[in-house]
Amino acid sequence: MLTMMIAAGAFFSSSARAQVPAGQVSFGQIEDSTAIRPVAIFSGSAGFITNFDGGEPHLDPIVMPVLLVPIGQRWLVEARGTLESDLSKQPGVSGFHGQLEKGVDYAQVDFIANPYLTVTVGRFLTPFGIYNERLYPVWVRNLQSDPLILPIGIGPSDSSTGGMLRGGFKVTPKFNINYAAYYSALSTTSYVDSDRFAGVRVGVFIPGARLEVGTSFQHRLQDERSNSFGFHAIWQPLAIPLDIRAEVARSRFGSGYWIEPAYRLTQVPFWRNQMRRTQVVARVQQFYLGAPPGGDELPDVNTKQFEFGLNYYFMDGLKATSNYGRQFSADGNKNVWTMGLTYRFVLPLGRDGDE
Amino acid sequence: MMRLGLLTAVLTVLASFCGMAIAQEQAASSDNAPAVHPSPAAGSGSPAVPTKEAASIHTRPVTADDKWMRIEGEKRFRTNCGRCHMAPHKFPPRTMATIVRHMRVRAMITDEDMRLILRYMTQ
Repeated sequence: MLTMMIAAGAFFSSSARAQVPAGQVSFGQIEDSTAIRPVAIFSGSAGFITNFDGGEPHLDPIVMPVLLVPIGQRWLVEARGTLESDLSKQPGVSGFHGQLEKGVDYAQVDFIANPYLTVTVGRFLTPFGIYNERLYPVWVRNLQSDPLILPIGIGPSDSSTGGMLRGGFKVTPKFNINYAAYYSALSTTSYVDSDRFAGVRVGVFIPGARLEVGTSFQHRLQDERSNSFGFHAIWQPLAIPLDIRAEVARSRFGSGYWIEPAYRLTQVPFWRNQMRRTQVVARVQQFYLGAPPGGDELPDVNTKQFEFGLNYYFMDGLKATSNYGRQFSADGNKNVWTMGLTYRFVLPLGRDGDE
Repeated sequence: MMRLGLLTAVLTVLASFCGMAIAQEQAASSDNAPAVHPSPAAGSGSPAVPTKEAASIHTRPVTADDKWMRIEGEKRFRTNCGRCHMAPHKFPPRTMATIVRHMRVRAMITDEDMRLILRYMTQ
């Protein structure tokens, strides 16, 4: 499978370069303006989240370092790790206790074969839906809690180990297509574990309407050999500073959805400086139990959850976040409060701004 | 005790990050205007040295193509980057080139969008 993917990449690399759809700027037309030699970067995000889950306090520090090493014009080596802890009070012991959890989210080599295709090999975030791959970092997500259906289709540690073909290209001036097709091998090694599965995700982006919709499919090649399906959408209306994101996912173990509108208060006519930095977020989600229950780290019972949050962007990369949520399930209803601070940093590993 | 130490260390690091970020923001605020006037180090947060490429771009006369690319670059920057996260400020050119390449793979933006965004973000 991996060999086939690499061969396909090589084929497209040699054949697709000359094919430029009508109305599209050619591959090298803007080359001169972007002939800037990229530099290796150490980046990442850090956060400190305080969480009251059903009245029980948790302290969740998290650091996600990212290393980006571009090589030449077409290669990129990228890696991200996660160091996090869930510190909570233990009976009979003072203070907060918990274990440091470590993991390698991705450690991959990307080869940009041509404008239509990038070949990725290594460990990569499983491209099922949009949350895991694009919205997961603490500085990106609008609400700090994970959606209930997040575990569907992403494997035991949110990542895959194998190969992937992916890309995005303009079909007409009105819409783009993006795709990812991947194969993951079974890995039981600590910190880099993954399941054996294959899948594909396809999305259509309409720039004029600022709307992206897509669908995901995955087939597990081990255990019960089941299928998972997903649907995602992102819409940013042109008239108002509103983002609406939504996902639906279904697997043997359960199904569900979440929808998350986020509104930036830039149009509020008073306290403009403060309001433009403030974002109001809500999320409605529901999970329906499958059969057998309890798989893929999903809830054990049917669950509904509503969350309302407020984010304040002090500046680019630094955000205060807070939200209140109410969860309804057969295990008992509970309130979930979250407050935190997230930060994203970018440090060049070399001389910056100079060739 | 060890947990308390860890907690204190994390809080200290976060506090220092906040301080650094505020300092960077203050330093960058004057450079952060939209790229109407070329400024290779715009929004970097630290004084960046203009690149040879950027210098060559900025010393030649501004053509209609340059204007089109800038307008398109800004449009595509807002359309693509804003889909997942708040639009970041600008970084120095070589850093920006790496970030855009990373986001091309991660967010699967098109080659054309990547080039126009990079051009916009490095002016």
